[in-house]
Amino acid sequence: MTPTADIPLKEPVISAAASDAEQLERARIDASTRVPVLMFYASAMVWLLIGTLLAGFVSFKLHSPDWLSDVSFLTWGRLRPVHMNVMVYGWASMAAMGTAIWLMARLCRTTLRHPLLIVAGIWFWNIGVLIGVIGILMGYSTGYDWLEFPSYAAVVLFVAYALIMSWAVLMFRFRRGDQIYITQWYLLGAFLWFPWLYAAAQAMLFVVPVQGVMQAAVGWWYANNLLFLWLGAIALGTAYYMIPKVIGRPVYSYHLATIGFWTYALFSSWTGMQRLVDGPFPAWMITASIAATILTIIPVATVGLNHHMTMQGYFPVMRYSPTLRFTVFGAMSYTVFSIIGILISLRSTARYLHFTEASIAYSHLGLYAFFTMVMFGSMYYTVPRLVGREWRYATLIKLHFWASAYGVGLMSLMLLVGGFAQGATQDDPSMSFIQSVASALPYLRGRTVAALLLTISHFIFAFHFGLMLFGLGRTSTVPTFLNPVEAEGSETHL
Amino acid sequence: MDYGETADVHEVHAAIQREKREPRVGLEPLSIWLIAVYGLAIFTGGAYLGRYSGNFSGDGLDPLGGPPPAKKGSAAGPGGPIQELTPRDRGKKIFAANCQTCHQANGLGVPSQYPPLAGSEFTTGGSKRPAMIVLKGLQGPVTVKGQKFGSAVMQPWDKTLTDQKIADVLTYERSEWGNNASPVTAEQIAALRKELASHPESYTEPDVLAVPAETELPGGAPAGAAPPKPGEAAKPAPPAPPKPQS
Repeated sequence: MTPTADIPLKEPVISAAASDAEQLERARIDASTRVPVLMFYASAMVWLLIGTLLAGFVSFKLHSPDWLSDVSFLTWGRLRPVHMNVMVYGWASMAAMGTAIWLMARLCRTTLRHPLLIVAGIWFWNIGVLIGVIGILMGYSTGYDWLEFPSYAAVVLFVAYALIMSWAVLMFRFRRGDQIYITQWYLLGAFLWFPWLYAAAQAMLFVVPVQGVMQAAVGWWYANNLLFLWLGAIALGTAYYMIPKVIGRPVYSYHLATIGFWTYALFSSWTGMQRLVDGPFPAWMITASIAATILTIIPVATVGLNHHMTMQGYFPVMRYSPTLRFTVFGAMSYTVFSIIGILISLRSTARYLHFTEASIAYSHLGLYAFFTMVMFGSMYYTVPRLVGREWRYATLIKLHFWASAYGVGLMSLMLLVGGFAQGATQDDPSMSFIQSVASALPYLRGRTVAALLLTISHFIFAFHFGLMLFGLGRTSTVPTFLNPVEAEGSETHL
Repeated sequence: MDYGETADVHEVHAAIQREKREPRVGLEPLSIWLIAVYGLAIFTGGAYLGRYSGNFSGDGLDPLGGPPPAKKGSAAGPGGPIQELTPRDRGKKIFAANCQTCHQANGLGVPSQYPPLAGSEFTTGGSKRPAMIVLKGLQGPVTVKGQKFGSAVMQPWDKTLTDQKIADVLTYERSEWGNNASPVTAEQIAALRKELASHPESYTEPDVLAVPAETELPGGAPAGAAPPKPGEAAKPAPPAPPKPQS
């Protein structure tokens, strides 16, 4: 079977190959980013494993609450914020910054100067997350979703971020070449949006707290925007690089990319308050957020179409390239995540769903199915270039992919359906509250199975990544394909 | 040699050698269908915003633009129009939140610990003595209605309560539990607060007794005036809107 043989090539292979000079420049740039990016990834992997184990604890405790409940720092109320914050600031942000620094250096065609300053930033960031985690475990959580770290941890994170970001932005300042590629828009945007979001939320919640219920509005505005404008923007930028890069074909349309980027920036920043439907807020505030969520269909349709048209005819390559398989899965999940986000934020459905597990499903679709899968894809691409080895076992990559894909699929399904069951029971005045808890119980057990799958997937990936880090990857000129390639010349597509 | 130090293109890792060129961007035009989707999204979003905006009112919680909850209650009409709270009603709330723990809801205090307010010569005499005590607190032994008290300390309230709140709670105390003394206004308290600004300490009994019992705060109703009836008393008082937290 030779599915890649009849892939329509939009342009001849020769022009797609890089020249010697270009290769040399790229090798220099990659080498300059090697230490910081690998360190970002290694830290992110450690936090990912910690966060995954915590997720298992948290999920298990929801249906077996008595387990270890007499140890104060192992109670659900402390472990859950630790899980979320470790995932958001430990895993997601560090993986995102690693990939973003690597992409920025490549696309700006400039070496990363003084990488040791970024390394210092990474240490600070790790210390900040660690301090925050200890703070929450000791009971000093601030109580705002995604912002539970005590203020002193936030200060450390901010210093670390300033160190890291300034170099990313400086690279953009020293870029070579006339064109600014789509990925750079998203990365530069994300690097500037994050400090704005974080500083605004910290200032309005802790430094000069806004009045009363408005704190909830600020909290949800932050959580949603962190997902869209920080992590989401980096994931979209990464997908815009990886997809055309791996298949060697230009992105379908510049116009679509422009519209997709600006509408994404414009509409996402208005979302967040749809999570407060029927709360004590002026109705227009919540409705404005819902309307903005509806309008996010514009960037979703545009970016989705752009990626789809770029991929058209090249989908069989996903059979071979790990990067492409993860990235396309993530890019497709962006569409699913956004459409489900619109459906569960309309007033008529949010009434049932906004205090249920369905909102957890939404977060996981965004943070895992979309963002994390794209990050896995980018790591499969960058790590061999940074360590000079190929991934050792195709089987492990396949296991990683399927365990992750089925894990997050099962988890989202369980939480969404469980959320509906829970919400319908809660809305029925003839049922007691405990019945709504009981109605969600089977789904919560199902979620624990999903968490187990994800745990397996992450440990497999961490093991494989560890092999690469210690120089135990394959020495070869041929990349690690997911399936043996029989067609001649098809390796040029990977 | 470390990988990062390689300068020769022939030693560049194979992964970089076989790579495609950096991605470029095509210039395909926008499809008409996509523009239709944009139009539909903007229409839906706009219609949604228009329908559920609650007329963009700052206090409209009803997305369909119904009247704010307070007015809704009056429209339903079982309780008639909602009355403005009188100083005495406000004072009762402030008393319940701040004073009741010690002086008790019946104003009788706790024997030998907290002095009573009901029928107390301090509470029902001129308005200056009780105002001094509430503003600055009282400590040390004190004799009220012939009984000795002395174990407890009353905290000063000048930092915690506004002039209006102190006036309200005094008005309440001086007219409840059979007490029958003149109301107190926020202006009187403000004047007294200024006068006592240089007095840092809590008062003791001799300090308070140094002020003649019938001394009224300047600017109030004459001593022995009828206790304020709910509603009537509201008229001279400034129309301060009821604070949600009091």
